[in-house]
This record gives sequence, C-alpha cells and structure tokens, in this order.
Amino acid sequence: MNSAARPLDAAQLTACDREPIHLLGTLQPHGFLLAVQEPDLRIVQASANVPDRPGQPGGEVVGRLLSAAFPELAEAVAGGTGPDRGAEGARYLRTVGLETASGSRLYDLAVHRSGPLTVVELEEATAEAGGELSLDALSPRLNAFVEGLHRAATVADLCGQLAAEVRRLTGFDRALVYRFDRDWHGTVVAEDGNGVLPSYLDLRFPASDIPAQARELYRRNRLRIIPDAGYVPVPIVPAVPPSTGAPLDLSQSILRSVSPVHVEYMRNMGTMASMSVSILVDGGLWGLISCHNKAPRRVPLQARNACDLLTRVFALQLASKERSAEAEERLRLGAVGGRLLGYMTEADSFSAGLFGHSEDLLALAGADGAAVVVGDQYRLIGLTPGKGEIQRLRDWLAGRGGDEDVFATDSLGEIYPPAGDFADVASGLLAISVSQTSPNSVLWFRPEVVQTVKWGGDPTKAATQDPAGGPARLHPRKSFETWKETLRGRALPWTVPQIDAAKDLRAAILGIVLRRAEELAALSEELQRSNKELEAFSYSVSHDLRAPFRHIVGYSELLRSREGDRLSDKGRHYVDTIIEAAFSAGTLVDNLLTFSQMGRNALKRVFGDMNLLVEEVRRKVMRDVPAGRPIRWQVGSLGRVYADPVMLRLVVENLLSNAVKYTRGQPDTVIEVGRAPDHKGEAVFYVRDNGIGFDMAYVGKLFGVFQRLHRVEEFEGTGIGLANVRRIVERHGGRVWAEGVLGQGATFHFTLPERMEAR
Amino acid sequence: MADLKPILLVEDNPNDIELTLAALEKSQLANEIAICRDGAEALDYLYRRGDHAGRDAREPAVVLLDLKLPKVDGLEVLAAVKGDPGMRSVPIVMLTSSREESDLVRSYQLGVNAFVVKPVGFKEFFEAIQDLGVFWAVLNEPPPHRGGWPSNA
Repeated sequence: MNSAARPLDAAQLTACDREPIHLLGTLQPHGFLLAVQEPDLRIVQASANVPDRPGQPGGEVVGRLLSAAFPELAEAVAGGTGPDRGAEGARYLRTVGLETASGSRLYDLAVHRSGPLTVVELEEATAEAGGELSLDALSPRLNAFVEGLHRAATVADLCGQLAAEVRRLTGFDRALVYRFDRDWHGTVVAEDGNGVLPSYLDLRFPASDIPAQARELYRRNRLRIIPDAGYVPVPIVPAVPPSTGAPLDLSQSILRSVSPVHVEYMRNMGTMASMSVSILVDGGLWGLISCHNKAPRRVPLQARNACDLLTRVFALQLASKERSAEAEERLRLGAVGGRLLGYMTEADSFSAGLFGHSEDLLALAGADGAAVVVGDQYRLIGLTPGKGEIQRLRDWLAGRGGDEDVFATDSLGEIYPPAGDFADVASGLLAISVSQTSPNSVLWFRPEVVQTVKWGGDPTKAATQDPAGGPARLHPRKSFETWKETLRGRALPWTVPQIDAAKDLRAAILGIVLRRAEELAALSEELQRSNKELEAFSYSVSHDLRAPFRHIVGYSELLRSREGDRLSDKGRHYVDTIIEAAFSAGTLVDNLLTFSQMGRNALKRVFGDMNLLVEEVRRKVMRDVPAGRPIRWQVGSLGRVYADPVMLRLVVENLLSNAVKYTRGQPDTVIEVGRAPDHKGEAVFYVRDNGIGFDMAYVGKLFGVFQRLHRVEEFEGTGIGLANVRRIVERHGGRVWAEGVLGQGATFHFTLPERMEAR
Repeated sequence: MADLKPILLVEDNPNDIELTLAALEKSQLANEIAICRDGAEALDYLYRRGDHAGRDAREPAVVLLDLKLPKVDGLEVLAAVKGDPGMRSVPIVMLTSSREESDLVRSYQLGVNAFVVKPVGFKEFFEAIQDLGVFWAVLNEPPPHRGGWPSNA
C-alpha cells in the first residue's frame, strides 16, 4: 500500500515525536501519588503535594512504610499489588477518606504497577460523586445505549450515539468521535455539543497533532483526563530514587502531567478541560472520543468508568459491524471469482475467459477498467490508459522487484509520476502477476476521485518553531480555522476483500495455466505417438506402393524389349505410355516420401562451405544436361553456413535443377548463384535464371505441395520440389520467397539463420 | 566357369525375382544363382542347414538381400552374418524398395557392403543389378558415401 498522502515536515514530526511524555516526572494537581516498593511497601517516591496530616508533614513521607504513613490505605494497596498485577493499567480500588491537616477528605484510590514499584494514586473525589452515578443508576442508560447500538444501521450512526451518550454522562461542552485514517490523520466523524465550543464535525486533523508516542500511550492507557489546562505541574520527589536508579514511568498514571505542547494546543483551541477515551478495535487504535469544555471541569470517577465501558461496547459493536460488512463483501466477491474460474476453465486460455466476461472481471475488484496482458497481447476493458502507457507501467512494476503477489495503490501518481498523465482513468492500480517467468498479468484501474478535505487549521502549519528561538520546543498552530484542500490523483482505496479476491484470482489462473501445461504435455505425447504411426505408414507405403509401380515398369520394359517385334506400332505406343505413367507414379511416391521425411527427420546441423556444396550439386545437375547445351554459371562467394548438409543439398539441387529445367528453351542460359548481404542475423542466398519465369500472380502457389504452373508436356515434375525447399528452409528457421517476370526469368531466395539465432 | 561362386538372391516377391533374374541374365553372368524366399531359408543356405545341407561348399560371391522378408527379415539376416566372424567376409548388398533413412543407417551399422534402393525405372534397375553382379564377383569397395559436406568442408 501507498504511504502518507500528505508529506509532513520530517523535522517537525521528529521533534514532536521524541518528547518523552511518559517520563516528564510531574503530575496534575487534582490528586497525589506515592510510589512504594516491595516487600514492606516502603514509600520511595511521592508527589510534592502530599497533604499534611496530623503529626506528619506531607513532605516527609518518603522513606516511611505505607502502613505507618497511611494506615487507611495499607490493606487495600497490599491486596492490589504484586508483580503480576496492574499490567492492564491503573485499577480503581475504592474511595477512601483521609484525615488531613485541613479536615477529612475523600479520595478515589487507584493502583498500578510501574517497573519494580507499585504506584498509588489518590485523586480528590468530586462533589458531584454520588447516587446518580452509581452503577445501579447508570444501568438503564447503559442498557438503552447498547440497544441503540444494535439498531444502528451504519458506522456513522454508531459514532453519533457514542458521542451523545458520552457527553450526557460527562457534561462536557462538546464530544467528538475522531477516527484515524491509514496515514494517522484524524477525521471527526461524529459530534455532540451544546454550542459553547465550535463544531469540528468533518474536519480533518493532521497526524502530527497526535504524535506516534502519544498514540502508543493512548493504546496502552485508554482514558485520560485534564480537568484544568491552566494547572501548575507537581513534581515527584525524588525524581530518581536510589533504590531503582530510574525516573518513574508514568505511562499508566491517571494523574500524569500532559505534554506542555498539548496544554498549549488546548489553550489555542479555547478549551480548558478535556477527556479522551481510546477506541481500540482488535488491539489497534481505531480512533478516540475527545471531549472538551470551555471552562475547567472535573469528571467523577464513576462517569469516567461508564464512558470507558460504553466505548468498549461500542468498539465491539463496531468491529462486528465492520467484520460483517467485510464478510458480505467477501461472499459477493467469492461468487464473482467462482464464476470467473468457470469461464477460464471453459475458454481456450485464461485471458480469453477473463476478457469474455469483462463485467465480472471489473466487479471482482470494483474497478472501472482492466487490462489482461499475455506476452505482447493486451486486452483492454473499460476505462484504461493507452496500450503504450500500460506497457511502460508494467515494465515499471516488473522492475520494482518485490515478491508480493499483488500490488495495490490508490494514488499511483505519487509513486509512479508518469501516471499523472492518466490520473483521470488510473489513479488506482491493482495488479497481479501471473507468472514469475513471463510478464503475464492482470491490472485493474480506478479513476481519480477529486476530494475536498476540510482541515482543522492549515495542516502544513500543524506545529511551528518557538518564535522565541527555543531549539527543541514546538508550538502548536494558533488557528483552527477550516482550511480546505483539494486532493487530486487519488482513487477510492481498494478494500482488503478486493485485494484478496485479486490474490485468489491469481492463484486460480496459476492453477489453470499449470493444468493447461499438463494437458499440453499429454497432447504432445499423443502427437509423438501419432507421428510414430505416420512414420510406420510412410514406411509401408514406401515398400508396398512403390513395388507395384516398379513391377509395372519392369514388365512393360520386358514386354517392349522381348516381345516388341510382335507388337503393332499402336501396341508399342500403349506400352510406352504404361511405362511412362507407372514411372511417374513411382517417382511421385518417391518425392512424397522425401517430403514427409523432411518434416520428420531430425536436423543434424554442422558448419560447411556453401560454395563446395553448390559446386558438387552443379556438377551433378549438369550430368543430365545434353552435351550441346551451353549454360553460363555465375557463382559468387557464398561463405559458410550452419545447416544439415543432406537437407541443404536437396534445397540447392531443387533450385539448380529448376533453373536448368526452366531455361531449357533459352539459347543463352545464365544461372547465377549468390549471397546477398546478411539481414537481421540471416544469411540470404539466391538462385537467378533467365528462363521462362512466372507470373507473379501465382507466386503464392509456387511453394505449395503439388502446385505446378506448367503443363506436364512443357516441363516434367511432380510439383513437390519447391515444397521440399520451403519445408527444409523453414525447419532451419529461414524463409523462402521468389520473384519472377514471365518470359524473363526468376529469382529464388532463401535465408538461413546465423548460428546464434539458430536453435 | 565351374569355379564361379554362386550369387544368392534372397527375395520373397516373385515379380522381383523374375525381374532381377532377367537383369542378371542380360548381364550374361555365368554364375549360378541361388534363390531363397525368406530370411530363415537364407540362413539355412548360408549355414548349410535343412534343405540346403548338401549345397555347393563355396560361399556366395554376393548375397542380394531384400530388406522386408517373411519370418526372419533382411536386417536380422544381415546381423547374423556380419556378427559371425566365420561368415563376415561374405559380401551382402541390401536390395530394397525402402527409402527409409533408418534402414540405411541401421544396415551400415550392421556392416552391409552396399545398399541399393531399387529404382522405379527398369533401365536403371537393370543397370544397378548388372553392376552389382559384375562388381561383387570381382572386388570389394567401401560403402557408398552417405550425404555429408564435401570432404574438405
């Protein structure tokens, strides 16, 4: 997935992120803290505001046993301590009354574990605390809330109910439900307020407003409260006790001081009291409930506990709503994927199956366009970039490396700048590569959705350097005026089920391709078998068909030579015709067999001298030329070639004997054999004659089996010679072609690949 | 001419026997011509077994051996003769209709002395038979050149 949409200044983030909030070492003043050490619960640290008690000044408790200094607490604390306790954060034990120098006071007692120490916190109980917030009194309202959540149709409804209920319980001026996006920017998705504070509904807040370490604290400590942002922090003494040698970790503390930056932020927002409750879904920080009050405000413990409970119920409901929505989507996409699998199985190729059902292919990913790429073949569906653009995009994807099965982004232009040119059709890209070895892939595209985002203040000025020049301090922005921004080059994000559906499709395609390969292997076996049969057939033809022709010729010959005297002229003519016909039939069988052998026999390629071969063949051909017929041969330098000599000899023989044959009527015969300059890794040869030539209209028939352009009386032949030439040359990976002019001659070309190209 | 060695013709097809005999006759060879109709009989003849146990003691001047024969085919006869050190020197010429490359290659592997594809034309056939008869009665020559690049390639 793609990273942050809004590049925030790294220096600012770093400065803010490194503030060690949990080690500030101070408290808010609405309570006091004691840190005690096992085994005898001796007080080793205390906040500076421990109240004076009769006979015991607050400043002198450090070093005393808890049981001596605060006998009222000893029993409760002893029961709530131990190394295995307190991992879940501070636990409220009870409300206790303490005698102080200024009279009896009520405190809410909470205990948690912090490293080797047990932290005892005593928060002053509020005046409001009483019957109306007891669990019994809250129960009907909690029930009503849970019922309401069940009825909520949407996540927005759920959030709205939560905001209203939390505000009712706490009495804050405004309660917000704030949701984090994948970049940790927050958006206010629900709000309830009394109008004292401005509405922030739909506003977005930059990630830097709640830095990473604060988010981590929010995850660990679900509820935080600041009753008065104007407080004076209370130090803890000693800051580093000799027995532990480290400052007290206040991560889980309920009284913990907040970051000065945060207090300043609150003041800038015009709020003096705040409370926030973390919304954790599946252990992750989904969002916050953020409550504010213009004036300082305390919230009783019971109300806070109720809010925490509501939030957890809400989170469960939210998780189940989101999960069931996701499950529905998965089911739907699963059905689409199943159909596509069926189509692919039935079609000749997976790409044909997908392309033939483009609606399902698009629905699988909820895309507006798709491309199915197999080798150099691009099949485009719907709204897509051009073929060339997709080609380059695919090259880029392949070049990215990475072994992920699926690639998804909703802002392609940010990681692949050329995509800016086609952002309108493909700001979102979801791609699967179907094979490691070949570049086959399926790509889905989503168009740009121009979004207008309302920020709570200019997000580029989320924090500013201290105007006084302090190097490490940050000051939050002063203005929370709505700041509108238009986001371009972004598509709707791909959902997890859609990405998974693409992954499943990839697996299905791989399965089909694999099965096809197996089928091909079986087919090739079948082909080999039928090739063997064909060979056996040729073999028997060569014996059994050829022999009768030989016999006809032989006996006719005997008849003519031994009984010829007793035949009439007509009888002898008949015998001659029988001989001729049988002879040509026999020759035809021979030629056919040669032709079939050319296709079957393995090529045995070696290097050889073409001039020597041509000379040998030329001499052989010349043996059949009547002595009185002059032929002028012009043989150029032919060089060496890499070919099967037996087969190549047939090629040369056919071409030279054709040249001799078709120049028969030419008193001044010139036959030229030459080599043209090499072309694209091929050696180009030609045989040119000045014979009867041919009409270019029939050039297509020239190299076909049994294709003849002349009557038998004019030129003998079975029409298989050039078919052999073509077959042999093509088996070598070369090409043949011819040019001719009727009455002026013909040129036959053939090529042979150079060794590197030859396979 | 009584010391002339016989020529053994192994051929199952009567037409081919008649035509071959006509050709040999025309070449006016005085050699006796023995005829066997299948491979098994040819081996009997060569090893003087069965019906041929009492034949003339001289080995044939040449065996004209058809490739496709009943019972024991030509290649098997060839393999038997050329695999026997006592018989190996008898020249064998494969006389066949087949133009199958594998037969040719196999025959030379087995040590055939010549391989002749019976030409369709009678004139050519006559000449081939006459040449063979005369030639093998006089001297041996290495097997004909199977296509390859000319020698200095």
